[in-house]
Parts: sequence; structure tokens; C-alpha cells
Amino acid sequence: MSAHHRLELPLSEADVRGLAVGDLVTLDGEIVLTAGLPTHERIREHMEQGRALPIDLKGAAFFHLGSMSRDAAGGFEVLYMNPTTSTRFNPFMPDFIRRFGLRAVGGKGGLDDACAKAMAEMGCVYLSFLGGGAQLHTGAIREVVEVAWNDLVAHYRLVKLRVEGLGPLTVAIDAHGNNAYEQLKQTAAERMPGILAELDRERGGA
Amino acid sequence: MAITYEAVKALSADLYVWSLKKIPEDTKAALAEAEAAESNPSARETLTMMRRSAELAETTDSYVCSDSGVPVYVVKLGTAARLDGDIKQAIVDGFEHLVATIEPPILAHVTNPLTLERGHAGKDMPLITWDLIGGADYLDMTCAPKALGSGRWAALEIFSFPGLDVIERYVMDCVMKAGSQHCPPVVIGVGIGGSFDHCAKLAKLATLRPIGEPNPEPVLADMEARLRKAVNATGFGPMGTGGDTTALAVHVDYAAGHGFTPVAVCFNCWINRRTRARLYDDGRVERIE
Repeated sequence: MSAHHRLELPLSEADVRGLAVGDLVTLDGEIVLTAGLPTHERIREHMEQGRALPIDLKGAAFFHLGSMSRDAAGGFEVLYMNPTTSTRFNPFMPDFIRRFGLRAVGGKGGLDDACAKAMAEMGCVYLSFLGGGAQLHTGAIREVVEVAWNDLVAHYRLVKLRVEGLGPLTVAIDAHGNNAYEQLKQTAAERMPGILAELDRERGGA
Repeated sequence: MAITYEAVKALSADLYVWSLKKIPEDTKAALAEAEAAESNPSARETLTMMRRSAELAETTDSYVCSDSGVPVYVVKLGTAARLDGDIKQAIVDGFEHLVATIEPPILAHVTNPLTLERGHAGKDMPLITWDLIGGADYLDMTCAPKALGSGRWAALEIFSFPGLDVIERYVMDCVMKAGSQHCPPVVIGVGIGGSFDHCAKLAKLATLRPIGEPNPEPVLADMEARLRKAVNATGFGPMGTGGDTTALAVHVDYAAGHGFTPVAVCFNCWINRRTRARLYDDGRVERIE
């Protein structure tokens, strides 16, 4: 049976180790988000050059969410947000998870086993957001804490938000090396000979 | 009376806005049906959230997804329709007007593939497929914005005199490659035959066919039912939660060709963005979906 956890950010290692694939999570507190490949490249450059990031990622919940932000009276406003596919950031994530001690990452579509390995080592989970859930996710935004790198297009910026009741999100990779996406792929691959045999049988009978 | 530049410009923008805020009725019904039939609790919960998200967007006049995609239109012009003005430019201008005026603004997804710079305009944008309808006195326009999530997984391969078994295995290969990254449950379009470009177009147009309308050719109707069952047996499920619902529908179409047979496969994510209207000579707009 999967559990539903309401968790306060920042997450502790114990919070994260207590989660299992399939659990649901609802979050309160500060999250950092971006949907940009150039953003990930910039973060890596900063890491390599030993420079501080404009938004600290230490122990953060760092999500692959695209958001629309714009300059308004009194600072940036964020109009909506929604997940993007995480797998294209696979090459960056193991280093980020280890270097910053990220406690939660997420978006949609998952990450590969190299990322899952780093997550198990450090104590970090991958949280799956509903794709096409812009209104559900946006409704949880309480405050725009900071918008950095606003020379980039809106969804590439590094954005820090305070959220309340963000979720439910699904634990899709836990901190014990279990990766739901890899498990699903494996299950589908195991079923495939039977599926193809059934296709052949039905076609033959048609 | 004639179909004017202004009318086409306005309709191009309207269709785009509608597609961002409302999912098609057939898709709503298919999601409800899937939710009722789903045996996996996490998958069922995900389908419930999808339906709630779609309803919330529609009732609050806001976007279902943050990725508004790139503008993709299918325009079928009746051969008996009269035109007044450059309707091709009208679609370009309609999208430009939309970008300038839509609230909240849409994100900059139009990408120059050579520099990876992003904006709202670019070469060949909007992407338009043109066709003719013999004898009709209207212009039939579909808008189906395409985003990375499901656009990324389309594929085409060319076979030589393939049997149906080879074609179906290729479809399943594409399904395996996409896994659950294209925001399932998806609508899958399959094109068979024709030429390289024609086949891709068949697959694309097949995704736009309303759910629940099988191909009129019995051979393909059977293939659609068989493939849908096969795809759902993989167990990827809604957003990769496992379960019985990976595809809402599989739509197949074909064209005669040579012995080299392209097979194209493409996907629409669960929000299945698609709006369509007809524009008549007298300026009347008939919204179809």
C-alpha cells in the first residue's frame, strides 16, 4: 500500500529515506525550478569554476518545471507552471545531486539509473508531477521568492517559489535505488513476447 | 461574399486559444471511461487528476499545460470557396497577433534548430498542412499545437514489402521507446505506405481523428483494436504510474505506394490538443470541436 505524506521543505535525509516508490507526497515550503538546458549548462559552469549560484541549491527541492514569469510592479510574478520531461537532463543530474545534496528532484518522465544511483547514495527522491496539470500546480504557489538569470526566456530562468500543498506528487524514484520508470520498461519488455504472440494470434484469426 | 484575410486571421488565433484551454469532448469521454475501467489505484488517481486539471482549466479560462507548443494547422480549402486576400499570410499574422495579445502570455517555444534560440516566430512557422476538399464552399481549419513531450517520440522507418506483423512490431518498438515519457494515455497515429512525407502526414492526421471512429477499412479497424489492446498490455499507464491505460486510441491510415513501405508512428499526449472550425463564404464560423 502506498502512503500519502505531507512534508515540510527543506526535506531531511530521514524524510527522504522514509519514502518508497508509489508513495504520494504533498509539499509545503520553498522549491527551485527551471526547464532549461542552457540553465543546466550554466549551473555546471558555475560548479566547475567554483562560483556561487544566484539561488543556492544546497539540500534543495529542484524540479524540472517550466514557468511563465514576468516583471511586474514589486518584482517578478509567476503566472503558471507545469512539469517538463526530465530525461533530457540525465547527463547533468548525478553531479548536481551529489554536489548540492539535492533532497528532491522531479518533473515528468523520470531519470536514468545513473541518477538513481546518485540519489540512493545521497538520499534524494524523484517526484513525478502530473503533465498537463498547470492549474493544479500553479494553485499551490504562495510567493515568488526569487527569479534569477532573467536574461533567459521565461521557462529557462532559475525560479525559487514558496508553495503550499503542492501535490499530490508521486515518488517515482526513491532513495533506495528503486526506479519506477526502469521497472515499467522492464515489465513491458518481459511482457512483449506474449503481447506480440497475441497480436499474431488475433491477426491470424481475423 | 468570400472568405477574407481578416476572417482567417481571427480564426487562426481563436482556434489556438481554444486548444490551450479546453480538451476535446471525445478525449474527456475517453478519460472518464478509462478512469472507470482502470484496475490500478495509482493510475486511477492520476486519471482523476487529469480530468480535474482539464475541468479546472476550462472553467477558469486558463491553460491545461504550460507548454503551448508550436503552432500547427491543417487547412483544407473547399474548391468552391471564394477567397479574398492572402489567407496564407493571414495564418502567420493570426499567430503573431495571438502572441502579442494573449493573456497570460505563452512561453517562447518556437526554436531555431540551428542555433537553439527560442522565440515566438521562425522559418516556416506556423507549420501548415494544406489540402483541398472537392466541391466544398468552406475552409476547414484544425489547430493542433505540438509540444516536446509527445512530439519527441514520433518515428518513421521504411520497409520493403512488409507483412502486417512487421508493421505492428514496429509500432510496438516505437511504443517501447516512448515508454511513459509522452504523458500517456496517448492517442497514437500510424501511417502506412505512400511516400516518406505522405506517410508522416497520414500518421499525423490519424491522431486528429475523433476517438471512437474506427478506420472504415475492416483490416485497419481490426489492426487499431488489436494494437490498442497490445499497447495497453505494456502496463506503462497514465504518466508512468502503471495500470491498464497507456493509449486512449490507436488510429491507423494507409496509402498505396511502391514496394518500399514507410511506416510512421506519432503520439498525442492525454490533453490531445485539437480544435477545428469551418469558415464559410458568408463569414460564418462553424466550430466543430
